[in-house]
Amino acid sequence: MNFGSQAFRGWFEAYLAAFNRGDFDGFGAYYADDVIFHGQAAQLRGRNAVLDFYRTVRDRLDEQVELVSFVGASGGRRIAAELRTTVLARHDWLEMPTGAMRAGDKRQSVNIVFYDLHEHQFTRVRSARLWPQPRTLR
Amino acid sequence: MTAAERRFRDYMHAFNASDWEALRRFYAADIELVIGNGTTLRGRDAIVDFYRDIKSRTSRTIEIVDCFSEGNMLAAELKSEFVALIDAPDFPTRPLQRGDRYYINSFALYEFRGSEYHRIRAAVFRREFRPRADG
Repeated sequence: MNFGSQAFRGWFEAYLAAFNRGDFDGFGAYYADDVIFHGQAAQLRGRNAVLDFYRTVRDRLDEQVELVSFVGASGGRRIAAELRTTVLARHDWLEMPTGAMRAGDKRQSVNIVFYDLHEHQFTRVRSARLWPQPRTLR
Repeated sequence: MTAAERRFRDYMHAFNASDWEALRRFYAADIELVIGNGTTLRGRDAIVDFYRDIKSRTSRTIEIVDCFSEGNMLAAELKSEFVALIDAPDFPTRPLQRGDRYYINSFALYEFRGSEYHRIRAAVFRREFRPRADG
């Protein structure tokens, strides 16, 4: 990937924008077929598994992700992103993997996420939670 | 390799060598460091005192898996190994007995002004505890 740093960040911001508007084709195109995904709520392999997971999430939650910090490695081989995620429960989801939520609950967390890239796609996504732990906003 | 990445390797070398005076020079006077368990340390003395205490009870080494920088920020993936030198029931991450090993795979962000770090934050991706063989 021969992006300049601004273009690299812009490419990643376009991914988040697609994610935030629920454009599954748009953000799904960023995942390699066999992407390895270590999220806070799921450990998955493959683009279809990741998209199925996010469809399940979207049925229950509104989720918005905000880019706080971005560090792109030269050559476009890796990204470190500090992401602030805000979820709003539209229904009760007592079995939510990261903790039960009731309809109307709003929760925020911040993570450092490392993305490994190959040919303009994520081959591995790993998320680590920054302190403080997720907080409920109401 | 950028200057920031070279400096980071020097920083980790000083850490692994327990060269406290060298380590202090990497920190700004208003440095704030948040480690993976949420402990926040402010100022050079607080950080060096904390690490000096950790290293009095464990043999700790940090391996840089990867690091890269852009602007005034560096991102690093690190692997740390702690080997308890003595029983440490109040060790920050978990109680340890002499000979226990504890591994952490973490991601960290280092923000710098000039040659000094002023904000460091680490998040734990994976932890693994290995009790001593006869434990």
